[in-house]
Amino acid sequence: MPPIAATYSEEELVLLLKQQSRDAFNYLYKNYSGVLYGVINKVVFDEETANDVLQEAFVKIWNNIDQYDNRKGRIYTWMINIARNTAIDKLRSKGEIMRAKIQTGEDVVNDVIKGQNTEQSTDTIGLRKMVAALRPEYEVIVSLAYFKGFTLDEISKTLNIPLGTVKTRMRSAMQQLRNEFNN
Amino acid sequence: MTTKEYIESGNLEAFVLGALTPQEEAIVLADIAADPELAKEVAAIEEALLNYAIAGSMPPPDDLKEKIWDNINTTQKENKAGITPTITPDANEAVGGRSIPFTPPVRNTQWRYAAIWVALVGSVAMNGMFWVQNSNQKQQFERQASVLNKMTEDQKALVQAVKTYKKNADMMADTAMQTIVMHTVVKGHPMAATLYWKKDKGEAYVMIEGLPKPPKGMQYQLWAIQAGKPVDMGMMPVDMAGTASIQKVDRPVMAGEAFAISLEKAGGNPTPTTENIYVLGKS
Repeated sequence: MPPIAATYSEEELVLLLKQQSRDAFNYLYKNYSGVLYGVINKVVFDEETANDVLQEAFVKIWNNIDQYDNRKGRIYTWMINIARNTAIDKLRSKGEIMRAKIQTGEDVVNDVIKGQNTEQSTDTIGLRKMVAALRPEYEVIVSLAYFKGFTLDEISKTLNIPLGTVKTRMRSAMQQLRNEFNN
Repeated sequence: MTTKEYIESGNLEAFVLGALTPQEEAIVLADIAADPELAKEVAAIEEALLNYAIAGSMPPPDDLKEKIWDNINTTQKENKAGITPTITPDANEAVGGRSIPFTPPVRNTQWRYAAIWVALVGSVAMNGMFWVQNSNQKQQFERQASVLNKMTEDQKALVQAVKTYKKNADMMADTAMQTIVMHTVVKGHPMAATLYWKKDKGEAYVMIEGLPKPPKGMQYQLWAIQAGKPVDMGMMPVDMAGTASIQKVDRPVMAGEAFAISLEKAGGNPTPTTENIYVLGKS
């Protein structure tokens, strides 16, 4: 087996993961666990659940690497989506999403903000940059959709704003992120 | 919708954020496949979201790495133990004894299909529910609309009735109005009718509450006796007999020593049929 390089391209990473070796795992964990854990923590709020989800997500990535199709997008995005969906599924199985969906819009918004605040105090690596990146009215919509698994319709009803406005704000939010992050 | 309008609609952002229903998602996927411009936009949105996620990195607890590695090894063994024996014999026959590379994700594929089915069945069920809800609401709305119609009709009728009563009351309160009660002239048949007459204006009203319903093809006719002779004053509507409705006499009644009502053929006669004069009253 070739020695593990410091960094791999995405194509190389896929090949590496298909070897299913300990070195491949070490590389994967070193480079991606932080991002996946960050995403998971935006979805679920307690550490124990977040740890379980990270574990499940890694197992899924490891076992399903053959199903990854690079024509459908970057492996990085694929892995994040696995972590995100696993976390949302966990939230659903715990009934927390359903609870959130029958709460008033204000409660959900408070939950989202509360989630940010906890993370803000516990994390120091660029999370502040992440929170600062979005205006609150955009942040709420991105959080509900991306991190809580809400549909457009559910966001519209939860926040009591028209469907068209939800879409417009999604567009503006992503524009803002693109300006901030994309070169 | 042009590509530019599509891009500006926010639909692609909703797609990347995972906020679309499976049906909507399928439509967007087809649109992306058909238009490279849309695909480019989606890639840019995904890139931004990826960077957003990277910016939110958090180091996991130190002890988690080894736990996860153990977990991966355990599930891998389970997968191999569970699947290899069922695949190997057939595979060996097919390729002449060469071993087939292990393909672990079989389980997950099944799981995915199951998830798709659950989502599909759920979505169909929801559609059904919404349809039922919708049609219930429609029915309820129709019922309410018909109740409302009925109430409007009733109210119109009431207003009309009140107007009539008001007119009648005004008419009867008029001190210049003379009341002439016409009594039965048929032995053994107690009948009565009333005429309200404002002589100076030639205005008269008649009420035939005390007369029986006329037989089919017959109608009551009002007569004013002027200089000893009956003068035709018009026909009473058929359904007026036996009701308290008061009808204005549609021709001027300037004179009359007496008034009478007779039963005549529908449309009336130029002179009353003597044996059919029912009531008579002197002014």
